Amino acid sequence: MLRSAATWMMTVVAGLSAVTAVQAEVKVDAKLPEYKAVEGVSGNIKSIGSDTMNNLMTLWAEGFKKAYPSVQVEIEGKGSATAPPALIEGTATFGPMSREMKAKEIDDFEKKFGYKPTGLGTSIDMLAIYVHKDNPIKGLTLAQIDAIFSKTRKRGGAEAITKWGQLGLTGEWADKPISLYGRNSASGTYGYFKEHVLGKGDFSDSVKEQPGSSSVVQGIASDKYGIGYSGIGYKTADVLAVALSADGKTTPVTAEPKNGYSGEYPLSRFLYLYVNAKPGAKLDPLRQEFIRYVFSKQGQEVVVKDGYLPLPADVAKENLKAIGVESK
Amino acid sequence: MSRVAEPTPPTGPASGIPGVPGAPATPAQSIYRTSRGRAKTSLFAHGEPMVWLTGGALALAIFMILGLLSLIFVQGMKTFWPAPVVQVRTHAGATMMGEVTRVDHFVPTAQNYIDGAKTGNAAAPATQPGSTEAPAPVRRRLIRTGNFELTNTHYTWVSDFEIAEETLPAWAMVVERTTWGRFYGVPEAFLVDGKVETTGAEETWKRMKGVRAELEARLDARHVLETDEIGRVNGAIEAARLALHGVELREGASSPAYAAEKTHFDDIKKRSNDEFAAITVRINDLNRDNDRYKVVMRTAAGQEARLVAAEIVRAYPANQLSFLQKVGVYLSRWWEFLWDEPREANSEGGVFPAIFGTIVMTLLMSVAVVPLGVLAALYLREYARAGLIVSMVRIAVNNLAGVPSIVFGVFGLGFFCYIIGAGIDQVLFETSLPNPTFGKGGLLWASFTLALLTLPVVIVATEEALAAVPGSMREGSYACGASKWQTIHRIVLPRALPGIMTGMILAMARGAGEVAPLMLVGAVKLAPELPIDATGPFIHPQRSFMHLGFHIFDLAFQSPNSEAAKPMVFTTTLLLIALVAALNITAIWIRTRLRRKFVNNQF
Repeated sequence: MLRSAATWMMTVVAGLSAVTAVQAEVKVDAKLPEYKAVEGVSGNIKSIGSDTMNNLMTLWAEGFKKAYPSVQVEIEGKGSATAPPALIEGTATFGPMSREMKAKEIDDFEKKFGYKPTGLGTSIDMLAIYVHKDNPIKGLTLAQIDAIFSKTRKRGGAEAITKWGQLGLTGEWADKPISLYGRNSASGTYGYFKEHVLGKGDFSDSVKEQPGSSSVVQGIASDKYGIGYSGIGYKTADVLAVALSADGKTTPVTAEPKNGYSGEYPLSRFLYLYVNAKPGAKLDPLRQEFIRYVFSKQGQEVVVKDGYLPLPADVAKENLKAIGVESK
Repeated sequence: MSRVAEPTPPTGPASGIPGVPGAPATPAQSIYRTSRGRAKTSLFAHGEPMVWLTGGALALAIFMILGLLSLIFVQGMKTFWPAPVVQVRTHAGATMMGEVTRVDHFVPTAQNYIDGAKTGNAAAPATQPGSTEAPAPVRRRLIRTGNFELTNTHYTWVSDFEIAEETLPAWAMVVERTTWGRFYGVPEAFLVDGKVETTGAEETWKRMKGVRAELEARLDARHVLETDEIGRVNGAIEAARLALHGVELREGASSPAYAAEKTHFDDIKKRSNDEFAAITVRINDLNRDNDRYKVVMRTAAGQEARLVAAEIVRAYPANQLSFLQKVGVYLSRWWEFLWDEPREANSEGGVFPAIFGTIVMTLLMSVAVVPLGVLAALYLREYARAGLIVSMVRIAVNNLAGVPSIVFGVFGLGFFCYIIGAGIDQVLFETSLPNPTFGKGGLLWASFTLALLTLPVVIVATEEALAAVPGSMREGSYACGASKWQTIHRIVLPRALPGIMTGMILAMARGAGEVAPLMLVGAVKLAPELPIDATGPFIHPQRSFMHLGFHIFDLAFQSPNSEAAKPMVFTTTLLLIALVAALNITAIWIRTRLRRKFVNNQF
């Protein structure tokens, strides 16, 4: 059930070759099924997990409640690391995560239930590197970002980058120190960044750890020499998302939808919804309908509303099939 | 100052300067001389510097408190005031419309000059590349442009030098919607069933206002169906399920009584499902009738959008409003804020569930903490023999007040939720396991956790109040033959009551403003179901709840649209402060009444 992000990404690309027209303005795939309410759905949904997906879950819950007013929802989002224990303890119906579960977390789950949790890629996020809106920087390579944020420099940077001048900025920027903003360690964004940018290295001690994705953006908005990372859904007019280049040889790629879909943007990732689904057994109507809603046209419109990238229709269908829910 | 002047002896000719006979002694000179003479011996003894020091400290404290309060008040009050809508056309050819939310100044760079030159903008102010002259700072404004579904952004920065033309269009409308945030545009036509009914801005706006009452009546009807009716049906099913489960526990699942109850339950369930279906049909009818009306709007960039009239929460032509109409918009926004449920991941709509959650949690906490604290203090002060153990208990209580609140949160989660709550679930709510009922954060556990947190405050205040009751009164009571408990109950407690109430007020103020432990034991981002409602058993202490303090945290650090959330942070803070003040004033009023009652009862 759990595939690697790379396989997923390829599926997305394959899906998109059929639906090529993705402009700057994000639109949901017209082939996604409309969601239609069914009878006999009631109960309590409790979601515990990712902070990046906190608003996404809330918006989904609001939309779902419109279809089923009697359903009760509670949303808690303190970081992806809180999702696996909640699923294992049974305190949550859904565990949204902005990274894949680690092997250790899957093992713990399997020890209790005898099967693996199911992860559904609900939408696509581009992890953006944000700078202040007045920052003239044109682009960064992952190795440079590693040298800025890490003290171990696993990507092979020769020296730590602490001044904007080291990144080629001139004038008043040349001797200004770089001020770092990041997330706390419960965050899936923290984990993803550590794994994919720092090469599992360690963060520098001068990173100011923030309690939420939005506070990273706000921190940079009020700090002219700041830099930080957060999901693309949290972008505001006060910050710029820097164009990135994976190896330094290609031209930097902007955090635009088309680059996210094509996989050219180096930090595209899935936002997962983890469910405790026994293989072979049918899901209860509540969870089944919620998942069907998430992968419907309305559910994916919510993704656009929150600033992330919606899934193409066949990827959504693939996901539903993975958990044994028919798309209607 | 008057203290200096007071002891100054009256100036007369005799106290003139000795070396200059006949020189008139001015009052200024004499004061100078006298005070210098005093300073030699008693500047500190006189106390003058201490008056200034203590007075200064007080002034500083008042200044800081007033400064903070007025910042919150001013920022919080102005959030809902409707701003005019400007339309700007830039040299680069873009046109946008929106409300100006923020202004700042920046020094343009050479790049700005190059960009400006490309668009043929002679007004671009930056210096030529290579010039040594420092460019002057220019103004730029943050415009809330809305129309997120068309532009994928809520706000845009526009520098003054980029603007080719700026106007205040007469028919620029601000439209607040239930989804997608605000919309800015000019109304063009009103559609019924897809057919154009009216065209032109003024006519369309009239028609929008005309249809409002009809739409709202249907929305209200839908709300009643969605909450009360469906709640009633749900309640019936739940009651039947509980009855069935009761029979199962008493008689076993294979007994004939269970089979009979099961048929009854299935019957109710079937009937309820039919009722659900009927309600759903009615809701769908209402929705369909409302969806017939649409408004065609044109954005500043020339795009056309069709808005469903029923999804419009509020709309107004911002540039035509008179002062009174602005006040109307302002008040209606406050009303919505106070009484509505949140929308769009808490960034819009109201905070009623959070207000309700905060009040209920605080009251429940007071109910839990006051009896416990008072009883503990009574034993410590009235019964316990003074000695090492009592002293140690007192020290422990005082130390408890210094434990970080998050530690109480962790304790509450581990003890109340995972031990007590899970135990209750095992015994009473076995059927719904593995879904926890009490074995997770909830209103009850949050109140208990905060009760522990505020316990030292109540104990210390009560002890002080008890100690302040004169011994002669106790002795008088004993002399009349009263027992110890009679004395405490009839003589000591009434006298100490105002002091105990003070402890309660302090505890409430502390508890209502506390957030950190709540994040662990039950306060959540979204829980529109109130802990007290019309569905049986009416009180749901196991439910997670929303809390104003946590709502502030959520708006400030986790909102997707942080620019729009920022003013809401101030407004919500203002509301929380007002709420705490209201709770305190109520408690103080009760205390005053008690005091008066007590005084009246004296001989």
